[in-house]
Amino acid sequence: MNPRRSFAAGTGLFILLGFAALAYLATQTSSVANFSSGPTYDVVAQFDNVGSLKDRAPVKIAGVRVGSVKSIQLDNQSMEAKVTLAIDTRYNDIPDDSFAKIMTSGLLGDQFVALSPGGSPDVLKNGSRIINTQSAMQLEDLIGKFLVGGSSPAKSSSTGAAGGGKNGG
Amino acid sequence: MPTDADADALVEVRDLTTMLSGKAVFDGLSLDIPRGKVTAIMGPSGTGKTTLLKHITGQMRPDRGTLRVDGQNVPTLGREALYALRERIGYLFQNSALLTDYDVFENVAFPLRQHARLPEVLLRNIVLTKLQAVGLRGAARLMPSELSGGMARRVALARAIVFDPMLILYDEPFVGLDPIALNQVLKLIRTLNRTLGITSILVAHEFAAVRQVADGVHLIANGRLVASGTPEQLARGESDWTRQFFGGEADGPVPFQYPAGDYAEALGFTGAAA
Amino acid sequence: MSADMKTKAPRGGMLVDGLAQIGACGLFLLALLGAIPRSLRHLREISRQVWFVGAMSLVIIMISGLFVGMVLALQLYYTLSIFGGTAALGTVVALSLYRELGPVITALLFAGRAGTAMTAEIGLMRATDQLAAMEMMAVDPIAFVATPRFLAGVIAMPLLANVFSMLGLLGAHLVGVTWLGVDNGTFWSNMTSNVDVWKDIVNGTWKALAFGVVVSLIAVFQGYTAPPTSEGVAYATTRTVVFASIVILALDFVMTAFLM
Repeated sequence: MNPRRSFAAGTGLFILLGFAALAYLATQTSSVANFSSGPTYDVVAQFDNVGSLKDRAPVKIAGVRVGSVKSIQLDNQSMEAKVTLAIDTRYNDIPDDSFAKIMTSGLLGDQFVALSPGGSPDVLKNGSRIINTQSAMQLEDLIGKFLVGGSSPAKSSSTGAAGGGKNGG
Repeated sequence: MPTDADADALVEVRDLTTMLSGKAVFDGLSLDIPRGKVTAIMGPSGTGKTTLLKHITGQMRPDRGTLRVDGQNVPTLGREALYALRERIGYLFQNSALLTDYDVFENVAFPLRQHARLPEVLLRNIVLTKLQAVGLRGAARLMPSELSGGMARRVALARAIVFDPMLILYDEPFVGLDPIALNQVLKLIRTLNRTLGITSILVAHEFAAVRQVADGVHLIANGRLVASGTPEQLARGESDWTRQFFGGEADGPVPFQYPAGDYAEALGFTGAAA
Repeated sequence: MSADMKTKAPRGGMLVDGLAQIGACGLFLLALLGAIPRSLRHLREISRQVWFVGAMSLVIIMISGLFVGMVLALQLYYTLSIFGGTAALGTVVALSLYRELGPVITALLFAGRAGTAMTAEIGLMRATDQLAAMEMMAVDPIAFVATPRFLAGVIAMPLLANVFSMLGLLGAHLVGVTWLGVDNGTFWSNMTSNVDVWKDIVNGTWKALAFGVVVSLIAVFQGYTAPPTSEGVAYATTRTVVFASIVILALDFVMTAFLM
């Protein structure tokens, strides 16, 4: 019954391969891959406008992924977007005056939160609030600026703040 | 018309009527198959000899009539009872019908594996015994595609007897065999019947071969039994049917086209001249 | 039964004939499903069929997946580069594969590779009296022949579709990243932030499962009801491919509209 056993083994191998493919696709190529496995701590940042930022979008420092967006809610008092960031605990010495900015990867790419470290000796902890934020750049605003604000190309350097850089909460 | 005493009959057919696409295949057929004997069923092509076998095994239900196998009325049996009955019947198909996916050994082992939970050693012994009986123990690991027609038929026979059935149905077992293979199959049919006492029903056209093994012959034509007796009795040709069929006469009552009802009546076995 | 119908079905008969086929196919599905408990006794047969139907289709599925992924990368790179969005290449390729091309192309290939084999095999088993022989050995051919093949097809299809998608991704990566120079990190990170397990991968797998049911049903049905002649089997094999392809594409539209 040797041939029979090799059939069974081959069949088992095939089924295993199929499920391995499914597991690979599901965990490595989907948003599941963005769930950090380790423990995280939460940091809150408020933005005027989050654009098309989505839950689980990456949070990066210098292009390196350090965490993800945990939730996006509207703060009823300030009418601003309240974004909770889950940062991996191994990145536990990010200065608390760091600058949070919503950026886009490429022209059509997805939006993510970029943190630019400040110089404060104090670090972000669970429940900390990031004071300095810059909203998503809106294409419509940008175009509007060009149309209304005349043709001065020099102004384009300030378009980064078009969405409204803001201080304080 | 039944020839033998009812008590001795393993298969008892009474008033069997079957319509197939508007045409009567059997029209009140009655006959008995005696226990422990080899009975041949003969008749012109298209008289429903294979259909009769299908009725006996319950693969087809007749429109009317009773058909008892070992006391059970087959047309009324439910699926479970039918399957239980079939386990006691061996069926040799005209084209052997070996399962092409399995080798010779597994083909013969197939009914055992499906119906009996046997230890592998016992199963192996039974299968090899049956293969030895048909002289093909050495071919156990060949695939059906590697067998000649005669060998395939012997394997099919080994498979048919693996459960030691009470009844074997042979559907045209001699077709397409060379003389050597034919003699081997003849010898097997005889041996199985004489030594194991298995009742056998033989559907065949080759009277010369049938003569060597059959104890009795039923001649069916136009949906009825037209003659029965020992091969010798029939060979003497006492009616038009037997004269044409066994005497090798080209002219006779066998309908050239569709049988018309009154034609059959006029030319029946009663002896009226054609 | 369809055999003698076919001989005299001039014009209006076609519709009736078609309806009768669909009805018979539905009844056959019920018979298949009803035989599942009995066919579970033939686990060995089911696993053998998974091997024939699934594992033996693996090579064609993998090669096709690779090439489809490569072509997809080329075409989409060209299109995306018009909008300056080549960063999205990974996402677009992955979504096309998971949601659409993986299940559909796999099902079409599966119908051609495994479906025809099932039809021809069962048809020949009928023609050579093997099915009748099983009946005579008190083995139900539906439970022993038809249902195991049907189940094997249903099991194998989603697995094959996932293998196809995986190879497609590999092909797209090969062309997109190694050849066309899309940034590796962008390729993957863009994909991982846009592909959703449930909406994309699981729904695609549901599709593949549904196609598996449909293709296997058609293949087994055509084989089981094929006239027992060489011509009948050949005709049934052709019909398996034609019917299966049409039903796959139609069902794909319906499922896409309702599921996604």
